[in-house]
Amino acid sequence: MITMERVSLRYAKADPWALDEVDLDVRRGEFCFVVGESGSGKSSLLRLVILEQRPTRGRVLVAGHDLGELAPRRVHLLRRQIGTVFQDFRLLSGKTVHQNVAYVLQVLGASRHEIRQRVPETLDLVGLQGKGRRLPHELSGGEQQRVAIARAMVNKPPILLADEPTGNLDPDTSEEIVAILDRINRAGTTVVMATHDTTIVDHFRKRVVQLQDGQVVRDQAEGGYRQVVAP
Amino acid sequence: MRPGFLLGEVGNGLRRNFSMFVSVVLVTMVSLFFLGVGLLAQAQVSTAKGEWYDRVQVSIFLCTPDSTDAPGCTAGAVTPEQRDQIESDLQGLEPLVTEYFYESNAEAYDRFTEQFRNSSALESVPQESIPASFRVNLSDPSRYDVIRAAFEQAPGVDSVEDQREVVDRLFAFLGALSWGALALAVAMVVCAVLLISTTIRLTAWTRRKETAIQRMVGASAFSIRLPFILETVVAALLGAALAVALLWATVRFGITGFLSELLAGESGLVSLVGERDLWLITPFLVGGAVLLAVVTAWTALRRHVRV
Repeated sequence: MITMERVSLRYAKADPWALDEVDLDVRRGEFCFVVGESGSGKSSLLRLVILEQRPTRGRVLVAGHDLGELAPRRVHLLRRQIGTVFQDFRLLSGKTVHQNVAYVLQVLGASRHEIRQRVPETLDLVGLQGKGRRLPHELSGGEQQRVAIARAMVNKPPILLADEPTGNLDPDTSEEIVAILDRINRAGTTVVMATHDTTIVDHFRKRVVQLQDGQVVRDQAEGGYRQVVAP
Repeated sequence: MRPGFLLGEVGNGLRRNFSMFVSVVLVTMVSLFFLGVGLLAQAQVSTAKGEWYDRVQVSIFLCTPDSTDAPGCTAGAVTPEQRDQIESDLQGLEPLVTEYFYESNAEAYDRFTEQFRNSSALESVPQESIPASFRVNLSDPSRYDVIRAAFEQAPGVDSVEDQREVVDRLFAFLGALSWGALALAVAMVVCAVLLISTTIRLTAWTRRKETAIQRMVGASAFSIRLPFILETVVAALLGAALAVALLWATVRFGITGFLSELLAGESGLVSLVGERDLWLITPFLVGGAVLLAVVTAWTALRRHVRV
């Protein structure tokens, strides 16, 4: 679903490499944690997937698109296949929960019938049934992140990217959020989550790709946050 | 993006940036008003030119007892023989001379006293100092030189005058007025362009969250930009409508209603621009406003809204 071949990225010639010869293959339906310290290249890697940034070298393939050959006017078609969730939720403060989620479908030209059907469905999926009329400031951080997940998923994209989605949340709420992502993944969506939340990674035991100074230093199925070296 | 949602977005945008919206409307209105005035003044010049040139005449003023400077007046006032000679010479100049008529000294004096009836200087002007004249219409007014050459030195002729010179001064004034209005219009259009760019930048800033989300979920560049463009077009159209209304009021009450009535009693030499001329330039004003709005907004959006 997401393939990177010898991908390197630096933002300016004088800068060090943000990503250095990264090879990665995330298969359809997989759940993958991307871990590493701040500045290790996690967010840069996600930015390449949604084509916020083009790599300096190497090849990126996402959902069948070779991003190097994707014309700028077709980038939006790629982004329709990727839901994105951020640490800071990025909700529209003047719109209700329902309106925030419906906004995506309205922007993409969905009919009223579709909106009436899919928004409540998606709010149910993230456990926000009955809260459609609330405004974001009336919700807890965890609930706001659920709205953001609902917004990312309402268009049913095959890929969900989450960049530090639990960064602003307490441990219990973080676990609830990742449980929702896990549920979404089990329904068939490929999930890539950048995090440095040790507890979460250790708890869920998914594939772990560890970055350090822009390089993949570990790619482990059902791994923990830190590599356990056998005695 | 569905039309209902699009209109909602446009409406929200206008509400959120209402003061900027109003300023774009007003600047567009003022710039188009000056543009309209310039175009109407040009239309006035070309409408009047043809008609007035046809009517203007060459005047051959005959000698009075006072006019001793001219070479044809050495013998004093014009004699009947000299006058007959001039008349037969005029007949000989057909077809260049299409028509002429003789205004006697008494008729000229009557017209003079009528024109200057409110002037105290009237009493000091004796009737014999007002010259009799031949008023000559030419088939080709630009060949005035032929008449001047034929009569300037002729016995009994004081001077030959081309009324076109007087009319040309009026046209020069109207021309200057129209270019002045057009220059102001250009300055105002520059203001409108700058204001629209600034408005787009501000609007883009206030809506940066929405546009970021639209971009993130895969809205096309066109659909992200479309509400901004429509808002600018709405402002430009409203400005254009107000400018046309203002021009209409100017034409209806200022020209048709006031000026033409004022001038109608004078000489009948009046052919002024009217509402028809305004309707002729209206599509250009409105079309120009829309084009300006779209091009400026598109250019500003490329700079200020990431898609």
